[in-house]
Amino acid sequence: MGEILTHLLTPAVIIGILAGAVRIATPLLLAALGEMVSENSGILNLSIEGTMTLGAFAGFMAMSWYENLWMGLLMAVVSGMLFSLIMALMTVTVKVNQVVAGLALNILGIGFAFFWFRSSFQDRSSLDVPTVPTFDTADIPGLSRIPVVGEVLFSQHWLTYFAFLMVPMVWILLNKTRYGLELRSIGHNPEACDMRGINIVPRQYAAVVFGGAMAGLGGVFLSLASTGMFFPDIAAGRGWIALAIVIFGNWRASWILWGSLFFGLIDALQLSLQAKGLSLPFFGDDYQVFLALPFVFTIVALVLNRSRSRSPLSLAIPYHRGER
Amino acid sequence: MSAPPPPKQSPLWSMLMQPGAGWRFERRLYTGPVREFAAVIIAIGISVAAAGLLVAVAGAGVLEAFRGMYEGAFGTRDSALETLVQATPLIMTGLAAAIAFRASIWNIGGEGQFYAGAAGAWWVSDLLADLRPAPLLFVFMFLGAALAGALWASIASVLKAVFKTNEILTTVMLNFVMFFVLSWLLAGPWRSPNTFYYQTERMADVTFLPRFTTDSRLHWGFAIAVLTAVLVYFILRKTPLGYEIRGLGANPVASRYKGANVGVLIITVMAISGAVAGLGGAGELLGLHHRLQLDIAVGAGFTGIIIALVARLHPLGVVVAAVAFGALINGSTAVQVVTGIPAALVQVIEGMTLVFVLLAAVAARYRIVRTSVSHG
Repeated sequence: MGEILTHLLTPAVIIGILAGAVRIATPLLLAALGEMVSENSGILNLSIEGTMTLGAFAGFMAMSWYENLWMGLLMAVVSGMLFSLIMALMTVTVKVNQVVAGLALNILGIGFAFFWFRSSFQDRSSLDVPTVPTFDTADIPGLSRIPVVGEVLFSQHWLTYFAFLMVPMVWILLNKTRYGLELRSIGHNPEACDMRGINIVPRQYAAVVFGGAMAGLGGVFLSLASTGMFFPDIAAGRGWIALAIVIFGNWRASWILWGSLFFGLIDALQLSLQAKGLSLPFFGDDYQVFLALPFVFTIVALVLNRSRSRSPLSLAIPYHRGER
Repeated sequence: MSAPPPPKQSPLWSMLMQPGAGWRFERRLYTGPVREFAAVIIAIGISVAAAGLLVAVAGAGVLEAFRGMYEGAFGTRDSALETLVQATPLIMTGLAAAIAFRASIWNIGGEGQFYAGAAGAWWVSDLLADLRPAPLLFVFMFLGAALAGALWASIASVLKAVFKTNEILTTVMLNFVMFFVLSWLLAGPWRSPNTFYYQTERMADVTFLPRFTTDSRLHWGFAIAVLTAVLVYFILRKTPLGYEIRGLGANPVASRYKGANVGVLIITVMAISGAVAGLGGAGELLGLHHRLQLDIAVGAGFTGIIIALVARLHPLGVVVAAVAFGALINGSTAVQVVTGIPAALVQVIEGMTLVFVLLAAVAARYRIVRTSVSHG
């Protein structure tokens, strides 16, 4: 225990952990913000995990074909959008139960990515994992020189800056623009919006596809910024945690930011201890306990913060015109 | 000058474009079991075609792949029996999902409950290693498994009943937690000292579930699974509890007004669901693997969800769907050997089948009707 505390109280380690938290929070933040927009239009998209996996895969494949990271990024976004288009088709147009549709697409997305990956690299043994170069971190001139803050906030990936920039952007969209306010009212009361002459279907499509693009970006961060690899469980539950963040973040962009950073912090802490090879009290070298923490904390957070005041009232309820 | 004649339009054009005239979708008041069944069959047909397309794109012979799939799944007596072996855990996880989904409780935690059950059975077998006669030991091992699965599911259901915590997310999280708990147990306290792998000691022969034949792996777990399906069908259709479960799924508000204690019902349903999944885990442990490890039937919990939905939550349909998916898993191995198409094809087919079944089920609820043409 003493060893752990000494390690954690070293300034360089603290800075490293904080910077790691910001980095690790990125995919969660991207996916959760996208999902929040989708849910605000009344569509619960449970297929985030599958969309992230597909985005990670599409980015990885595009990178290995074109050897261009931005092409990888583009392909991840496009794949996320196309995939969530299926979700929108199933839920907005055909009005399949949204929970069931989301579960189905999760399985399809992960299965499809896994199948294509195996088909492309089947002559390799499972130990010979293909890797691609990753994005470099981009120091922001000037700001990155500020002690502590610079290292934590301004020596990150472009995608991280983009994710943090999206927090106020999404907030403005949903709270300050006519389009966003109308989107939220669709999520609350589609019937009233329909009578008011607001065109519901294209807006719900747009919201779901936006969510898919953001999840695709979150996925490609994992393959082209964090690891340079693809494997079928690369999302490792992040899509589900993002869904939980939206709920206990009470559909607020700012709380979603803090929620994502919190999970980033747990993970960064764990990685730091593990990298240093420190033994845990009671559990010793069994880091499984630490790996389980984000999932335990998700449940705890869902129980502790039960404020759902911002929850869209018609979330996951399909709207049939002329029926009640 | 007379007014120009109205532009000539083809009948098809007027059919499509004239408002209020032509064809439109109309919702049926009653779909009926025949149409629902036909929709599932059509959806499976489309999925097979899509799978063929995928195989062709991946660069292999489609017919060759399909023949390999059939040969691998049903071609010989051995392969047919192995298909049933593969189907066994899927029947249990499929039933577990179907019970909960019938009540509109989204138990996605079948995977975790399945492993909780296997761990429970192993723990009891270790604890009561000297208990005889053997049937009594089996009773306790299965009880341990059912209890472990039910308890693991109860974390989510109690939170749902008391705090209204979303059970989809908690059960998904509990899957991950169970994985790490198990890998901790298998890395530390329960690990066999004689092996390099994360697994327990091989269990005593007395704990082995009997096999139907000496030359196949088909064990009594399959019979237990089919019996469970019949039992679940009976519970859902013929008992007051089944009535309340279906009522909760169909109309939770009415259930509450009727005086059903929804909280208790949620906990009961999830406990049954978790227990069934847990029994499935015990079946795999005692029938096939005989030691606890992390890869007994990986993904069975998730495949069970697909199976339940494809079977339209019907317990006996679950058995049929599980055998079909067992054949798919079993056959895909043969396909991989023959054509080089990776066995991961199974997951794509599973996902596609579910998507098409969902769409077809909605489509079956509508009919296309000719509307009367009214001018003016």
